Amino acid sequence: RAKEKERKKERDRKRRRNVARRASSARKEGKELEDRPGREERRGRKKRDKEGKGKGGEDERQEEVKNDTVAKTLKNFSNENTRKLEQKEIEVVGEEDGDTEEKRKNGRSEKGGKREDNGRGETVEKKQKKKRVETSAEHESSEEEEDEEEKVGEEKPEVLSPEELEKLKEEVDERKKLISTLRGKPWPMRKKLLTLRESHEFVEKYEGALGKGKSRKLYAYKVMMLKKWMKFQRDFENFKTACVPWEMKIKEIESHFGSSVASYFIFLRWMYGINMILFGLTFGLVMVPEALMGRPYGSMPRKTVPRADEANAMDFAVLWDFGGYAQYSVLFYGYYNSQRAIGWLKFRMPLSYFLVGVGTVAYSYMVVIRTMARNANEDGGGDNNSFNFSWKMFTSWDYLIGNPETADNKFASITTSFKEAILEEQESRKDDNIHLTRFLRVLANFLVLCCLAGSGYLIYFVVRRSQKFALEGLESHSWWERNEVNMVMSLLGMFCPMLFDVISALENYHPRIALQWQLGRIFALFLGNLYTFIIALMDEINLKREEEEVLKLNMTIWEASLYNGTLGVNSTAPPITVHPADIPRGPCWETMVGQEFVRLIVSDTMTTYITLLIGDFLRAVLVRFLNYCWCWDLEAGFPSYSEFDVSGNVLGLIFNQGMIWMGAFYAPCLPALNVLRLHVSMYLQCWAVMCCNVPQERVFKASGSNNFYMAMLLVILFLSTLPAIYTIVTIPPSFDCGPFSGKSRMFDVIQETLESDFPAWFGKVFSYASNPGLVLPFLLLMVLAIYYLQSTSKSYKQANLELKKKLQTQNEENKKKTKMAALKAAMDLEEAQKAWSEAPRQQRNNNASQQSYTGEKNTVTGHLVSSFVFVWYLKI
Amino acid sequence: MSCCISTMVSGAIALAFLPLVLTFIIRYRYYFVLFYRAVLVRMWYDCTTGLSREERAFQYVLTHAIPGDPESILETFDLWCSKVEFISNIGPKKGKIMDRILSEHCPLTVLELGSHCGYSTVRIARALPLGARLYSVEMDAINAAIAEKIIRLAGFDDDTLIVSPSDEVIPRLRADYGLERLDFVFMDHWKKCYRPDLQALEGSGLLGKGSVVLADNVLFPGAPNFLRHVRKSGLYEWKIHRATLEYSKGIRDGMAELVYQGIK
Repeated sequence: RAKEKERKKERDRKRRRNVARRASSARKEGKELEDRPGREERRGRKKRDKEGKGKGGEDERQEEVKNDTVAKTLKNFSNENTRKLEQKEIEVVGEEDGDTEEKRKNGRSEKGGKREDNGRGETVEKKQKKKRVETSAEHESSEEEEDEEEKVGEEKPEVLSPEELEKLKEEVDERKKLISTLRGKPWPMRKKLLTLRESHEFVEKYEGALGKGKSRKLYAYKVMMLKKWMKFQRDFENFKTACVPWEMKIKEIESHFGSSVASYFIFLRWMYGINMILFGLTFGLVMVPEALMGRPYGSMPRKTVPRADEANAMDFAVLWDFGGYAQYSVLFYGYYNSQRAIGWLKFRMPLSYFLVGVGTVAYSYMVVIRTMARNANEDGGGDNNSFNFSWKMFTSWDYLIGNPETADNKFASITTSFKEAILEEQESRKDDNIHLTRFLRVLANFLVLCCLAGSGYLIYFVVRRSQKFALEGLESHSWWERNEVNMVMSLLGMFCPMLFDVISALENYHPRIALQWQLGRIFALFLGNLYTFIIALMDEINLKREEEEVLKLNMTIWEASLYNGTLGVNSTAPPITVHPADIPRGPCWETMVGQEFVRLIVSDTMTTYITLLIGDFLRAVLVRFLNYCWCWDLEAGFPSYSEFDVSGNVLGLIFNQGMIWMGAFYAPCLPALNVLRLHVSMYLQCWAVMCCNVPQERVFKASGSNNFYMAMLLVILFLSTLPAIYTIVTIPPSFDCGPFSGKSRMFDVIQETLESDFPAWFGKVFSYASNPGLVLPFLLLMVLAIYYLQSTSKSYKQANLELKKKLQTQNEENKKKTKMAALKAAMDLEEAQKAWSEAPRQQRNNNASQQSYTGEKNTVTGHLVSSFVFVWYLKI
Repeated sequence: MSCCISTMVSGAIALAFLPLVLTFIIRYRYYFVLFYRAVLVRMWYDCTTGLSREERAFQYVLTHAIPGDPESILETFDLWCSKVEFISNIGPKKGKIMDRILSEHCPLTVLELGSHCGYSTVRIARALPLGARLYSVEMDAINAAIAEKIIRLAGFDDDTLIVSPSDEVIPRLRADYGLERLDFVFMDHWKKCYRPDLQALEGSGLLGKGSVVLADNVLFPGAPNFLRHVRKSGLYEWKIHRATLEYSKGIRDGMAELVYQGIK
């Protein structure tokens, strides 16, 4: 034994010396190893495995590597040897030890591979273990024997022995595992953090030590790079979140006010994105080219302030009204020239103007519909009534709440919702009060309709009056009268929703449904207001066009008089130059429409901000500071702090967007204005919500409301494009202003481009393609395709529902089965117990009657159980 | 001037404010009703009868209730307060909550701050166990006289009343009345005195572990300072029983129930 130990020690030392030399060549040969077929690799792993356990494996490996092809047989041989006679095996080993030189030559490549793998860490480690399981039991037993033998003869090495290495590796693995599972541990945060830091340090310190020599350095480098890469990825993720604008603000609001308020801000942000793109289109393709390459200000009548207005064209009041210099600038339709191509780029200005107008609307349609479709995917079909209480129990908490007050509110609202649900259940069985509820709901709707009609009439009246004022001349009326329409519209838009809110208290709906009703009502109100406004505008357009006709006549007379007055007989003299400001011009209804929209937007924005400042901020300040010296509790009592009005704000946003879509064609500055407005209102409203509002008393999740907003947006988009398209298609453009002047219709610009800018065949193809005979079938095909897709999606939904139902029934079936099994098992147990308890008695008494009685009893119980199960089944 | 205003603000704009006015009227209708009943009707009766409100209530109770029956007296009070005029008693709904709390704790020494007409005194006295002692503090002498009559009418001892402001009484309770500990304190006097009185009670050492303090009207008219103090001091386990204001349906109010825990 002692001799053996000595020999082993020697061998060990030799091997270690060799290892360093081998490691240097390992890099080259590792590659070689990878190319080798799997059989050898497997064997290699097996060997490594054994080596990992100790030097017993090492012996065998050394034996094996002598010759690759006969390694297996040799190994088996050696195993048998060990089993049969230890001494003999050792002798064999000794012989092998003698010719280490040869062994090294043959096995170098393998060892190199092994070293590398060793350094590679845990993945290989796992593989090894897997392999180990696969090895036959015979091998295992032999290896264990060898291990035992080895442990006896182990001595402490100076450097890291493989065993220690193994231990270290295990420890490192353990730490790594700990790091990955730390999150789920039921520890306090401080302990978690401490453990995390410690483990990280440990892993960092010892992971590098696992490799050896050069590979160790490389390994360390690799690990470092991996870590850097991971850190970079994490930073990049953080960066990405930081790049999402206002994300932090919205999250904060969400934590304080619940997701319904946050959904408004998310919607606002989304809207901002859309408007940025609209703004980019109009600004980049319309406004900037005209400003840079178009004819400059003052070069022609449409680009000059008329002589009569010149005196006060720069006054603030005029500019604020978007008259004067603002009117004669790129901000409005009338400023643009009908020159076909401008600048050295030959920019097709009128075409660009038209296409941008169409493109913005088309883009908006696309985005809204796409978002709707995406949102629709999220809520799979299914009824919400089946597991009402389970849903309430498990899903009613809003996990984003981070504010104790809101959490309290949420808690209270959940309890009340439970109470209400229970009451509802009771009432649905009684349903004696349903008539009263119905009556109240009908009454509420009637009141709302009255209110809508009243407000509609008021706006109609005001618009009529303003037309009268306009005919009489605006200068003779006060500011109030001139701005009556806007004022009344804004005020009604502000106060009517409050009235609706009060009325809706009659209906006693769930807040989510109440919110939708409220949204629908305000929608109707706004729509009525908007369409009254548009009808008034249409009247005004007709007036302007009549005026234009008159002016056209006068124009020729004026020109004639000009020529006649200054020129005598000689008509060959150079034409007289009249300053463009003096030339009479048409009323340009397009600019008028654009101005109206811009004014509306501005006044709307102002009203919103002022309401915010007075209604929320001032009130909050008063409540907060007057509360110290007031006779009742202002905070909890009468004025209190305001709640954030989700429905009103959402609708304000949507209608604002509708106006932008409507007016953007006639006033290219509208998207820019809207971007500004949205930007400011994002900050202002975020601030106002956080500083002056209190969380709603009934906080509820806004899970389904996003698509509701989108649907309303789509409706508004459609309704706002209608009048715009109507004006573009039916009304001829003004003769002396705008990019389409001189054409009979605005869309003639396309025709013109096709004729002059494209080759002839293209025009021909286009004319064929636009032939009704081709267009109609195409449209029909599209409708059919849409119908087909819709019906397939419907059938999918149906199938989904069926599957859900199936799953449910299956579940119930399973439950039943398990219950039956449990019952049966219980019965069997009972029987067995009885049998056991009765067996000795029977033996003792040997009473046959008792036995029969027991059997009878058992059958009776069985009947009972089965009938019970049957009844239970019927119940379900 | 008037023509100027009429031209300045046109009728249409004024009409646009109509929804706002309607909203206010509908939303705060209970407050308007309360204002009418508690202020306008009272002023009218004060002028026509020449008696104070409490005296009128006492006359009504005297003529309509059965003497010696606290139940009947309370009912008559409720009837008068809901049908004829308004007096801010504790009312039947909140009274039930108070009865429940009293029956839960079975206090032996009870202090009532603000007995007003004696409604709440009778209510508490009715619910007390045998051998319990009730002290009722009332600042106004005229009211106190009426309260005494009512208490006597209900068949209870009449030496429960202390006619003096509460902030003067509390420091003297131990010395003058030989009190060691208060099991139950009911507060229904001036809302502004809630907090100073509570602090005085804490300072006097009369509150022991498990003593209950019940404060009425903490939400409307409201005692924000009191609630703030309760929240911050950490001496109490507290909860608010939400209810509506007495004899009114739509105004929310609450009673704060504090259980003294002592300094931990």
